[in-house]
Amino acid sequence: MCFQNLPVEFDREGRARLREGAADPYAYRPREIDRSGIEELLRRNGHIKDVNLDPVTRVAGALAFHAVVDLEQRKVHEAHSIATLFRGYEVILKGRDPRDAMYISSRVCGVCGGVHSVASSLAIEMAFGIAPPPMGLALRNVQLALDFMVDNPLHLYLLAGPDFSQVVVERTNPSLWERAQKAEAAHANVHGFRTVADIMTALNPLTGKLYIEGLHMTRPAKEAYSILYGKYPHPQTVVPGGLSTTVDLSVLNETHNRMSRLIDYAKRGILLWEDLTGFFYEADARYKQVGTRPKNLIDTGVWDDPFAYDGTYANAPQWGERRWATPGVVIDGDLVTTNLHHLNMGLEEFVEHSYYEGWEDEGVRYRTDPAGNPISPNHPWNKETKPKPVHKRSWRERYTWDTAPRWDRQVVEGGCYARMWTTAAAGKLPHTRFVESTGTSLKLHAPKTKLPAMEFEWKIPEVWNAFERNRARAYHILYSMLVGYENLLLAFDLIKRGDTKVASPYEIPRDERVGVGFWGAGRGYLTHHLVIDKGILVNYQVLTPSTFNASPRDPWGNGGPYEEAVVNTPILEEFDRPEDFTGIDIFRAIRSFDPCMPCTTHVYDGRGDRVITQDVNTCACGIQ
Amino acid sequence: MSEQMVTIPTTARVDQPVEGETSRSMPDQLGNVAGANSEELAERLDRTSGRDATEGPVKKAYIFWLSGMSCDGCTISTLGAEEPSLEELLNGALPGIPTVVLHHYALAMESGDHFTHAMEKAERGELDGPYIIVYEGSITDENLTLEGEPWAAEGSLPTWAPADQRRRISTPEWVRRLASGAAVSVAIGTCATWGGIPASDGNPTGAMSLMDFLGKDYRSACGLPVVNVPGCAPVGDNFTETVALLLLFLNGQVPLPDFDELGRPAWLFSETVHTRCPRGAWYEEGTFAHEYGEKECLAEIGCWGPVVNCNITERGAVGHMGGCMVAGGVCIGCTMPGFPDKFTPFYKRPPVTTPATLLSRLHGMFVRAPRRTSQLERNREPRWRRETPSGWAIGFDTTTVSHNVYEYFYHKLEYLRSEMPGRRKAVEKYRSGYLTPAEAAYGEDYFKMLPNERATEARRRGVPQRRGLSPQADGFDTPLEEEE
Repeated sequence: MCFQNLPVEFDREGRARLREGAADPYAYRPREIDRSGIEELLRRNGHIKDVNLDPVTRVAGALAFHAVVDLEQRKVHEAHSIATLFRGYEVILKGRDPRDAMYISSRVCGVCGGVHSVASSLAIEMAFGIAPPPMGLALRNVQLALDFMVDNPLHLYLLAGPDFSQVVVERTNPSLWERAQKAEAAHANVHGFRTVADIMTALNPLTGKLYIEGLHMTRPAKEAYSILYGKYPHPQTVVPGGLSTTVDLSVLNETHNRMSRLIDYAKRGILLWEDLTGFFYEADARYKQVGTRPKNLIDTGVWDDPFAYDGTYANAPQWGERRWATPGVVIDGDLVTTNLHHLNMGLEEFVEHSYYEGWEDEGVRYRTDPAGNPISPNHPWNKETKPKPVHKRSWRERYTWDTAPRWDRQVVEGGCYARMWTTAAAGKLPHTRFVESTGTSLKLHAPKTKLPAMEFEWKIPEVWNAFERNRARAYHILYSMLVGYENLLLAFDLIKRGDTKVASPYEIPRDERVGVGFWGAGRGYLTHHLVIDKGILVNYQVLTPSTFNASPRDPWGNGGPYEEAVVNTPILEEFDRPEDFTGIDIFRAIRSFDPCMPCTTHVYDGRGDRVITQDVNTCACGIQ
Repeated sequence: MSEQMVTIPTTARVDQPVEGETSRSMPDQLGNVAGANSEELAERLDRTSGRDATEGPVKKAYIFWLSGMSCDGCTISTLGAEEPSLEELLNGALPGIPTVVLHHYALAMESGDHFTHAMEKAERGELDGPYIIVYEGSITDENLTLEGEPWAAEGSLPTWAPADQRRRISTPEWVRRLASGAAVSVAIGTCATWGGIPASDGNPTGAMSLMDFLGKDYRSACGLPVVNVPGCAPVGDNFTETVALLLLFLNGQVPLPDFDELGRPAWLFSETVHTRCPRGAWYEEGTFAHEYGEKECLAEIGCWGPVVNCNITERGAVGHMGGCMVAGGVCIGCTMPGFPDKFTPFYKRPPVTTPATLLSRLHGMFVRAPRRTSQLERNREPRWRRETPSGWAIGFDTTTVSHNVYEYFYHKLEYLRSEMPGRRKAVEKYRSGYLTPAEAAYGEDYFKMLPNERATEARRRGVPQRRGLSPQADGFDTPLEEEE
């Protein structure tokens, strides 16, 4: 029984049904938020600091953060995560041809547009009753791996990396910097950096070798992506029923070369982050508390088995478990389900603290999913996006454009590491060549590239914090490259067999249908839920990892994952005067999630003559 | 280490304040994790590396990257660019181009007020160089949020006031504050150039483009209307190239680049994507793809290429690789002002496609066959008169009667208003009529024969040949001369 809070129970055959007896089973009473204690603290002031960070930089998109920090006790009393942008994609999608959803919803996020277009096509294909042929599925898997190959290094070296760089550590923790200069890096023989200080110097913005290399190494991935899918971001070859890529050995060769270089890069990256994490843990065990929160994680699983996937909702539990990353939910460190039906049934979205109107007035469209499992009136298939900017931001009332999605009314976190966690714990990877799930760890068997063949093992961590998120992300690069590589080999094999069809034909149904795309982004969980009727979209809902992670308080007053993580973060930076506090530990906690706000905040939500040169010949604007 | 890595010898020291540094004079250090904002960090890097050799009067230029209703895709595209790359611009690696100090929320070291502060400085005209604003994403209509929270906001002002007394600053307000002082205003991506998807039909936010927002009379400090680099997402190289050329222009190194009637870089956007498409020739020969994944022209399965201003098929998407139709994706017009509403529903035949492709099929019927005949002929060496020595195509030399009939007419028209290819024989090689000993011995025709024919010809003429050197005639088991 995976649900503790939802009014759902299972019969002996495992069929879900509503618990009997409740008149309005999903009803709840929102809890008032009491800030009187905090307000009293702030009035007394002293060492209590009201921290307003607007904007939080080095994240994708628009994020602001508020916290109340006790600088003497060095702890955070309260935290608020604020999405500061609304675009209304879900509203724009209403009334459109369902096939347009792929190209339009791709634009929800420019960091990982491709994952949205595939999530969208999976939802559409489910509604249309079709599934892509094996080559289409194998190459979508390659596509996803390449997407991750851009996202993850971008985060580790351009967004989060600078927080561990010399210029930051030297300033915020001089004693750590002293220590780093003497600390030998354990894997210097592979990555080439003798001391931890050398690694930190290489993480410096703009000049650091690792920073620049991070920028460079996302390019072969983008090139391979452009070769197969047209461009990056926002691929052009994802179509309903598969792909429209013209596949031949040449494009696969060009991809193969690039992926091999990337596998090499991924191997080195793991060892760098191992050394860095080890250094911080050894220097001060309290770093294990930075960004910590309950081990509650969710992932839909990704990378379909091309020979098991049939695109139907009814068989989702079966094909879901055949994925190269197993779907699942982890609560308090235990894997409570790997069933995509359970995952979908448990979803609810709340807007009590967001700039949205509730959708009670719109009626409840569905009481059950297509397989007959009960779903909540707050489930994405029932939800409507009704933006409502309010007069003034209030920590007790409404303060963000993000909503509060919950699973079984619990705060869960999405991330590439969530996918590794569920996959490692489930032990359901029967069909993979390079990745092995042991029940407690993921073993990665990396083939020889420039570096020799190497074995890596990511163990499910005992503590859950910012450093573990980053470390796991370094492993995730290799994990996804190996899955991508295996799928590329599969594509070679399909060509050998003459099975090169990339898309299945379809017709747009005129009756009412629902669909859901279970897919994943570089930062984890992703679903698109849609309803079509008379051949047009009547509702479209996107749930992204950052919708979960950046979420505000839910009706029961529980903060979202960023908020939880920051509240649990000890202030470890060194400063003498309160005004010298920079907040680096808070930044490390937030950035470890790889915040990506564009998709969070969407969500709800001839030729002429050349005329310009006329009066512009020289430019003297403000040069002096 | 990978040889693709760039080594830059400098190291930024943050514990030494630089003259005129502002971040330390702010009320507190919150968000200032590197002890220096990105501008100061760049300055320090500049000094430690002794980089003062930029050609031209402008040594340094600021770019303020403002992000409205964006997906960050334009930023991601820019990170992939290499003509030039972002790191080359930021590290002052290109002589003649001022070192760029980029103020970008996704890359800045500092957060909060320390980030906002630089924009305030620019507005007050306190920077030591010209600045460019780059706008990504559509612009919201904040009149629609009435007294409420903005649709899109970045930072709050005034920075000296306590948090609860501040006003959150919407991105249109930042544009309003910074656009008139900017040397150039560049809109990147289709949202910023034309409005894009956030401004499409049914949008709740009243979104529009930078050009819509600033109006027809807007001129930057340099006298330029908004420069528009469209695309969803744009080709990164199109953007960095435009910026690099504008910076070279600011520095007096190049003339002002050409822009078209909509402010697009004319050298990039004046032709259609179809003109430059590798599949365009399929259209010309009237051959079209009917299923996804086929290699021919995509016009009949939804490609808008023939009417869309774009260069992605020529330049490629990233590192000159890929491009929509190159890979097999139809053009959906993402660089165009009409995107998306004048192109949806996607995957339908664009207007006028059927009559146009019908005509091209007719045209194709006439040109395709003679081209293939000519192509076949060009695929044969003059020596291969009787047979082709390729083991790959054993039955290739047999021709049918109808083929011969066709060839007859083909040869009648083959060189109409054209010239016979090959060497002209009207002039002797040597005026004296000199023949090399080999020509004298073997005759001129020998050179147009394959080796087994040559062996026969040599025997006929009684000229001895080297043993074993014509495996076709002698077989591979005949020993070579020197093995005797």
